[in-house]
Amino acid sequence: MEKVIIGNYAVSYGAQLARVQVIAAYPITPQTQIVEKLAEMCASGELNARFIPVESEHSAMASTIGAAATGARAFTATSSQGLALMHEMIHWAAASRLPIVMANVNRALGPGWSIWADQNDSLSQRDTGWLQFYCESNQEVLDTVLQGYRIAEQVMLPVMINLDGFLLSHTSEPVDIPDQALVDKYLPLTRRHLILDPDDPHSFCGLVDPGHYMEMRYKMHQAQLQGKEAAREADAQFKAIFGRSYGLAEGYRLEGAELALVASGTIASTSRVAVDRLRGRGEKVGLLKIRMFRPFPGEEVGELLGGFKKVAVIDRNISFGHGGIFCQELKSALYNLPQRPQVYGYIAGLGGRDVTPQTILDIAELTACRDVPPAEADWIGVKV
Amino acid sequence: MAPGSKAGWRLDEKITFASERDMPPLAVSLGTMLVNKTGTWRYMRPVYEDKTPPCNHACPAGEKIQAYLELSKAGEFGRAWELIMEDNPLPSVCGRVCYHPCEQACNRSNFDEPLAIHHVERFLGDYGLRKNLKVKREAARSERVAVVGAGPAGLSCAYHLARKGYAVTIYEAQPVAGGMLAVGIPRYRLPRDILEKEIANICSLGVEIKTGIRIGLDIALDDLSGYQAVFIATGQHQSTRLDIPGQEARGVVYGLDLLRDLNLGRSVEMGRRVAVIGGGNTAMDAARSAVRQGARVTVVYRRSREEMPAIPEEIREAEEEGIQFLYLSAPKRVLVKNAAVGGLECLKMRLGEPDQSGRRRPIPVDGTEFILDVDTVIGAIGQEADLSFLPSGIATDRGGIQIDDHGVTTRPGTFSGGDVATGAGTVTAAIGSGKKAALAIHSYLSGEEMEEAFEPRVVAYEEINLDYFETAARPVMPRRQITERLAGFAEVVLGYTEAATLTEAQRCFSCGVCNHCDTCWLFCPDVAIAKVNHRDYLINYDYCKGCGVCVEECPRSAISMEEEMKWKK
Repeated sequence: MEKVIIGNYAVSYGAQLARVQVIAAYPITPQTQIVEKLAEMCASGELNARFIPVESEHSAMASTIGAAATGARAFTATSSQGLALMHEMIHWAAASRLPIVMANVNRALGPGWSIWADQNDSLSQRDTGWLQFYCESNQEVLDTVLQGYRIAEQVMLPVMINLDGFLLSHTSEPVDIPDQALVDKYLPLTRRHLILDPDDPHSFCGLVDPGHYMEMRYKMHQAQLQGKEAAREADAQFKAIFGRSYGLAEGYRLEGAELALVASGTIASTSRVAVDRLRGRGEKVGLLKIRMFRPFPGEEVGELLGGFKKVAVIDRNISFGHGGIFCQELKSALYNLPQRPQVYGYIAGLGGRDVTPQTILDIAELTACRDVPPAEADWIGVKV
Repeated sequence: MAPGSKAGWRLDEKITFASERDMPPLAVSLGTMLVNKTGTWRYMRPVYEDKTPPCNHACPAGEKIQAYLELSKAGEFGRAWELIMEDNPLPSVCGRVCYHPCEQACNRSNFDEPLAIHHVERFLGDYGLRKNLKVKREAARSERVAVVGAGPAGLSCAYHLARKGYAVTIYEAQPVAGGMLAVGIPRYRLPRDILEKEIANICSLGVEIKTGIRIGLDIALDDLSGYQAVFIATGQHQSTRLDIPGQEARGVVYGLDLLRDLNLGRSVEMGRRVAVIGGGNTAMDAARSAVRQGARVTVVYRRSREEMPAIPEEIREAEEEGIQFLYLSAPKRVLVKNAAVGGLECLKMRLGEPDQSGRRRPIPVDGTEFILDVDTVIGAIGQEADLSFLPSGIATDRGGIQIDDHGVTTRPGTFSGGDVATGAGTVTAAIGSGKKAALAIHSYLSGEEMEEAFEPRVVAYEEINLDYFETAARPVMPRRQITERLAGFAEVVLGYTEAATLTEAQRCFSCGVCNHCDTCWLFCPDVAIAKVNHRDYLINYDYCKGCGVCVEECPRSAISMEEEMKWKK
């Protein structure tokens, strides 16, 4: 059934179809509608889940962890400051090996108080052990919630699904709501082992001595790496049942291109428009969209960009003192290739500033007229 | 079978791994934690310990208020009625006329406003009458008991004895049973049919009421020797005289006489301009009754509104009905014109230091005399007991029959209670003293020991965990329109509906009494609290560390921490 819904509701419908059993969440713009909708569903009986209202995001994640520890399929959603407040529990969720799915609506961090799109919130959680996805459309958001649980429950790590504040969260698009019976087939509820159970008490999250801590972290890292294969499998199965797939990274009109633009989130969809225009003018430009950020899909990226001379990465984020974060990740993924491309870094759209097709065209032109990448990333449209 | 983990390891089995590869991916014990008896760490232990809610403690009739509110929350009105009837045979009456000290004690009054306990009690009493519910009676006993006076004390004593199986006869001087309930309290506060039905319930247990027989006049108290015990509850039916010049004039009457005549349907002579002297409930009843006779009424009270002993609702309703109040004023003399009241001279007062009653003493202010233009003066400054019928051997004390804590007089086999003994002046205190005496009479006749009184542990407001409660107002009690009220003696307060009762009962904190809210069970970090029969909780002391979270979280202070025996010196 197709519905015209905002991105936030795409998350809610995804969680509903996944038959989540516990939701613990705290409201924050621009995420609030996700949990409002879920709360309504719980109240009306459309969703058979316990909704736990909490007093902070730290408690939201703590409650989600507790719920997931009992074996329940647990969900939460947040944004920006809320995600930052969760930080301690975000580590805890991953190292407890709990298959939680969380939606994060990308929003800039204050001060310079801002409610608009920016990826610094979720990228600050890069090293916590969570798998991370960045979505381009409302349909992809819904589908990724479903894929997210499938992947999380396979590798026993939590999954964070990111969507740009307002640009997706509050923008209506037609979305196909999959049939529940098909979703149940794709995502059956299963009983996990080693869960909190008063009838079979075990000690959880206790002290681990130096003789074993490293092994646990090694296993977490291995599980992250397995997440790539799990995501490929989840995507392929999804295509088999629902007819849609996204890949971990997706090339768009890269064939025969001389310049590859690299983008994530909604900038990727804007870039498609720019690429079409450039191709229309005969310029050999393509796009690589990075959907999965953790684990980083180095194989896909290397394969798709290996032959290029120039790559331009557009980041709606900034690692102060070292440029765009996707750009760094990309550089390190390409570094050991025998023929690595030049990587040009661009910072654009921080704090929700518009990134239009013209912005992308400017970036393509700037990259084309240069022979060597500058030492520092270019800040597009910065007024200083 | 040795207890073990579902994962398949036994308690006594050492778990080993071939290599780190086989270890679980997260920090978790694979063996069961039951082997770790964390209860040995404990030096304090939580115990479920119900305490006394302040409402129960404040009720002179000893009603289990919290418990019937809890049943009312669940809509179990029949069981709630039965629970009240264990202590008080007159819930419909008390729900209307009791001054509800329970509500003054209610912890909720510190939070928003006290539970409307008397409104709920009235609903439950009326529910029992409407559904024709009956109280059970124990096997009949041979002993006979005489009760003198069919007021609330006498009825209560007779009821409790009848439930125990005794044959009880009540002697009542008035032509109707009920005492002050029948001849003192006006019908707009207590409709006669309600009183009659509750008395009929008492009679249905075999209690016989002989009306129109005045002990001391028709028969002597000593003529009751055929009974194995006698309970005297003759009340206080004599008005305290005003004791001012001119008091013998026609038109000076007394509140109790006026109310009795009105209640018995006798003709009442009353002028158009009435002064009522006094600030108690009798004064309010007399004033409001006079207004209903078409008079213009002024209440003259020597202290201020704050010190008035009448129930605040009564004062408010009197004000609504157009009664004027003259505070800090006392009558000095009645102006007599042709042997009738021609006016009332009053004097202004000021308040001095508090007296024995704790209220500030009124002091006359010289030269402030003024005249009230009235043709009727109703005295309602107090009431006294008539003790003239008492034979020697029954000692008196301060104008009443001398009794001990159990209602025992100085003559064996004779007991007493209610206003004639206590002078307490309230229906509920009379009911309570009747019940106490019934227990004493049962002990006297059967030789059974009385239960020992214990010092109750009353829950204070500070012990309630307010995090679990939200403020909520009482449902509004519907009252009859003023114009309709003044047209006659129709009941003023109209009573809660079932829905309002349910809503109101939900507000109860259930102070100190476990109501199975699951908070302790949910909070125990060691899962050491188990639920049995889907209701009660059981603490497994093998694992309870004594952290006290259950005690801290309990919304109603129904769990206590106790020092471990092993630490006690």
